[in-house]
Amino acid sequence: MVKITHSIRQLSLVVAGFVAVSLLLESDGLAHWADRLEPGPMRTVAVPATQAIERTLAPLGVGAVRDGVLKNLARVGWSDDEALLAEVAKEDKGHSLPANPACATTSAAAGGVAGANSASVVGAGPVGAGVGAAGAVGARSAPSGAGNVFAHAPGSNASLANNVPKTLALTPLPPVDLGKPRVVALAGDSMMAVGLSATLMRQAAGDKNLHIVKAFKSGTGLARPEVYNWMDEYPAMLGAEKPDVVIVAIGANDGQGFVVDHKVLAYGTDAWRQVYQDRLASFLAMVSADGARVVWVALPPMRVPVYDEKITAINQIAYTVVSQSPQATWWNPVSLVGDEEGRFREFETEANGQAMRVRSTDGIHLSDEGAGKLTAVLMKWLDPPPPPASQPGPAANTVAALPQSTDQPIVGRKRHPRKTAKGQAVKRGGRPVGKGQPETG
Amino acid sequence: MLFPTVEYALFFLVVLAIAWSLYRFQTVHKLFLLLASYVFYGLWNWSYLPLLIGISLLSGLVAQRIQKSETRRARKAWLVAGVIVCLSTLGYYKYTSFLMTTMLQVWSRFGTPPHVEVYSPLLPLGVSFFVFHAISLLGDCYRNKVKEPVKIADALLYVAFFPQLIAGPILRASRFLPQLAVRRNPNALRINRAFLLIVGGLFKKVIISNMLATRLVEPVFAVPQSYGAWDTLLAVYGYAAQIYCDFSGYTDIAIGCALLLGYRFPRNFNAPYTAADPQEFWRRWHISLSTWLRDYLYFPLGGSRKGSLRTYLNLMITMLLGGLWHGAAWTFVAWGGLHGSYLVVHRLWSRIGWGPLVRWRGTTAWKWTARILLFHGVCLGWVFFRASTFDLAFDVLGRLRVPGVATLATGPVLLVLFLGLAGQWMPARWRNGFEVEVGRWPALAQGAAVAVAIAAIEMLGPTGVAPFIYFQF
Repeated sequence: MVKITHSIRQLSLVVAGFVAVSLLLESDGLAHWADRLEPGPMRTVAVPATQAIERTLAPLGVGAVRDGVLKNLARVGWSDDEALLAEVAKEDKGHSLPANPACATTSAAAGGVAGANSASVVGAGPVGAGVGAAGAVGARSAPSGAGNVFAHAPGSNASLANNVPKTLALTPLPPVDLGKPRVVALAGDSMMAVGLSATLMRQAAGDKNLHIVKAFKSGTGLARPEVYNWMDEYPAMLGAEKPDVVIVAIGANDGQGFVVDHKVLAYGTDAWRQVYQDRLASFLAMVSADGARVVWVALPPMRVPVYDEKITAINQIAYTVVSQSPQATWWNPVSLVGDEEGRFREFETEANGQAMRVRSTDGIHLSDEGAGKLTAVLMKWLDPPPPPASQPGPAANTVAALPQSTDQPIVGRKRHPRKTAKGQAVKRGGRPVGKGQPETG
Repeated sequence: MLFPTVEYALFFLVVLAIAWSLYRFQTVHKLFLLLASYVFYGLWNWSYLPLLIGISLLSGLVAQRIQKSETRRARKAWLVAGVIVCLSTLGYYKYTSFLMTTMLQVWSRFGTPPHVEVYSPLLPLGVSFFVFHAISLLGDCYRNKVKEPVKIADALLYVAFFPQLIAGPILRASRFLPQLAVRRNPNALRINRAFLLIVGGLFKKVIISNMLATRLVEPVFAVPQSYGAWDTLLAVYGYAAQIYCDFSGYTDIAIGCALLLGYRFPRNFNAPYTAADPQEFWRRWHISLSTWLRDYLYFPLGGSRKGSLRTYLNLMITMLLGGLWHGAAWTFVAWGGLHGSYLVVHRLWSRIGWGPLVRWRGTTAWKWTARILLFHGVCLGWVFFRASTFDLAFDVLGRLRVPGVATLATGPVLLVLFLGLAGQWMPARWRNGFEVEVGRWPALAQGAAVAVAIAAIEMLGPTGVAPFIYFQF
C-alpha cells in the first residue's frame, strides 16, 4: 500500500529541495526580479541578496545553459520576446526565423497601470540592458519652463491638463502614393493597447492606404528600462518595417521612482525629472528616426486625484520634450474625452443626444467608445476621404480640412464611410453604418 | 498579488513555514492566517481592506444572530437583512456603472440625457467571491447546516482565506467552518497531490492560457476584420481552451496551496468539455458557482418542484443572473441566457419519449454528436463572454463566413490549443498514478522535480503574465 499522506517533516524536505534547486536554476531570474522591484525596503534587501546568490552560483554556468535553451526556443518559433528574437536573428545571419505572429501583440487585460512591477513575473525573460540605456543623470539640463511640474497642491481634484496645450491640430501628411500604403506604428503602454489600438486597427482593416504595425505593450513605460527597455524592444517590434507615422500613447506607468547608479531617485524630485525627461527624449529620437512623423497622444485626465496629478506631471515633461522635436506633434485629446474644464469624466452626451461611456470603469483607460472619438480624428488625418468630384486638387486629399488652430475638437464632422475589404460600409468602432444613420465621427 | 509571481512564491513559503510552526496553537494559527490573508489582499489595494473586513464581520455577526434566534421568523428576518446588505454592496460596486450606462442609453432613445457627474465606483478585487462567501455563511446558518456556533474569527477567515479570496473556489461555510474547528493534522498532508495541482495549474495558466491569449485570441477579438474563417474559428476554440486553462489553473493552484496548509477545498472543474449535455456541463464547469446558484437561487425559486414551465423560468432566471454575476454587461447576460436556453431545450429534448429517439439517445454515436454540439454551443456563448460589445461579437461570428487562410495557426499555438482541449480527456488514473509514483521518490528529489518543472514553465511561457480572467469578476 502506497502512502499518499505525509508529515510536515516530509513537507519541509520537499520545500528544501524545491528552494535549493530553484536558487540553482533561477539565480539569474531572481536577480533580474529584484532589480525590477520598485525602490523600497523590499528592493533594498532583495537586490544584494539575489546578486550574492547569482555571483555564488555563476561559476556553475546554469545561466548560460538557460540562455541557450531560450535562444533555441526562439529559433523554433516558441518565444514571443521581441528583443530575444532580434538577438537570435542577428546571431543566425543567413538563417530565417519562423514568423512570429504574436510579435508585439499584448494583453489588454494585462494593462495594470500600477503593475509594471507586479507584472514582471514568472514568464518574464531577462529584458533590458539595465539603467542608463536612455541617458545618464544630468546628461541634459531641463529646458526652461519645465520646472515646478510637481508644484501644484497635492490632493487637488482639478486636473492640470490646461498646463499643456489642448491642441488637436495635425499638420497634413503628404498624399498616399498609389500602391504604397502609409505605414503607421502604434506604440505605447496600455493607454495604447486598451481601446485606442483596437479601434484604430478595426478602422484601418481593409483600408489599402494604411498598414498598421503593432508596437505596444501593456504594463510598460519609459521610467524603468530595467523592467522593459523600449530602446531595445521597439526596434525588435518593428522588425523590417519603416513607419511613416508613429502614434505614441505612453507614460501611464511612469509615476514611480527608480534607481540610477545604485542611487534611488524618488518620483517627483528634480533628479528624477531630469532622468525621465532624458529617457523620454531618447525614446522620441528613436521613434522619429528615419523621418517618421510622430503623434504624441497626451495622457487623458485620470479619475483618482493623486494619480491625475502624476499624469499631469508626466504630460508636462512629455510636452517639454515633444515640443522641441520638429517631427513630433503634441496631440491632446482632452477636449474629446474630458469635460469642459479638462477634467476627468466618465460619461458624455454628444451633441446629437447620444450618451456614451468615454472611459473604462477603472478610471484610467479609454473605453472603446472614447477611443473611437480619438480614432475618428486620427483616421481623417491618416487617410483623408477622397475629395468630392467637384473639388479637385491635391489639397483636398490632405488633412487641410482639419482645423489648424487648436482647442477645438474635430468631432461631429461628416465623413464618407470607408469601405472594408468586402465593401461593407463601416463607421468608427467598426460598426456597420445602418441605412439612414448619420455619421457622428 | 498574482499566483505565478516571485512575490507570491516568497509570501507563500513564509506563510507556510509560520502557519505550520503555529499549528499547535490553534487560535494563533488561525489569526496568523487571517493576518496573512489581509496582507495578501492589502498588497493589491489597502483601501478596500475595510470593505472585506466589514462584509465578513457583518456576515459573522448576522450568522450568530440567526443561530441564536428562536423563531423561524426572526431567523428569516436576520437572513434577509444580511443578504440585502451583502447584495447591496455587490450591486453598488459592480452594477452602478452598468445601470448608469444602460439608463443613459435608454434615455438617449427618447431625448437628451442629463450630464452625469457621479462616477461609478472602482470594482474591489474579488468582491463577487467574498460577497458570495458571506451569503453562503448566512444561508448555511439559516438552514442549520452549520452545527457549531459561529465564531467571528472563523467567519473572518472563512471569507478572507487568501488562496480562494480573489477567484474562488467558492467555499461552503458548512464544509469549511468544521475544518477551522479542529487542529490541523501534521501527518495527513497530501503533499504530492498539492504540488501536482500547483505545477499543473501553472502550466495551464502560464503556458497554455497566456500563449493562446497573446498569439491567437487577442489579435482576432481586437480586429476581427483582419482575419478569415480559419483564424476566427481557431480563436473561438482558443478562447474556450484559454478560459478553461486560466480559471481551472487558478483554482488548481488555490486548492494546492490550501492543501499544503492542511485545508481541503472543493473541486471546481471536472473536464467540462467532455460533457454531453448542458446539465452535465454545469456539473463540471465552475462547480462551486453552479452549486451555489443551485442551492441559494434555483432551489429558493422553486427549482423543478412547481411544474415544467416554472422550472424553465427558474432555469432562465438562474442562468441570466449567473451571467450578470460574471460581468456587468449585457453581453454577459446574453451568455447566461444562451446557457439557460440550452438547459431548457435539453429538458424538453429529454422529455420526448418516442421509442426510436430514446434508443438513439443511448448510442455512443449520439453521445459524441451531443458532445460536439454542446462544445460548439458553449463556444458560441464564449464569443459573447469574450467580446466587449454585441457588435464585436457579431463581427467575430460574421468572420466565420469569410474565406481565408489560417495565419495564426503556428506549431506552438496548435500544440497548446490541443493540450488545452484534449488534456481534459486524460484519464484520472494517470494523474493518480503519477502522484503515487512521485510519492515513492525521496523528499528532496520531489522538491527538486517541482523546481525543475516550474523553471521549465517559466522558460516556456510568454513574457509577462496577464491577470487571471476571473479576477475581474
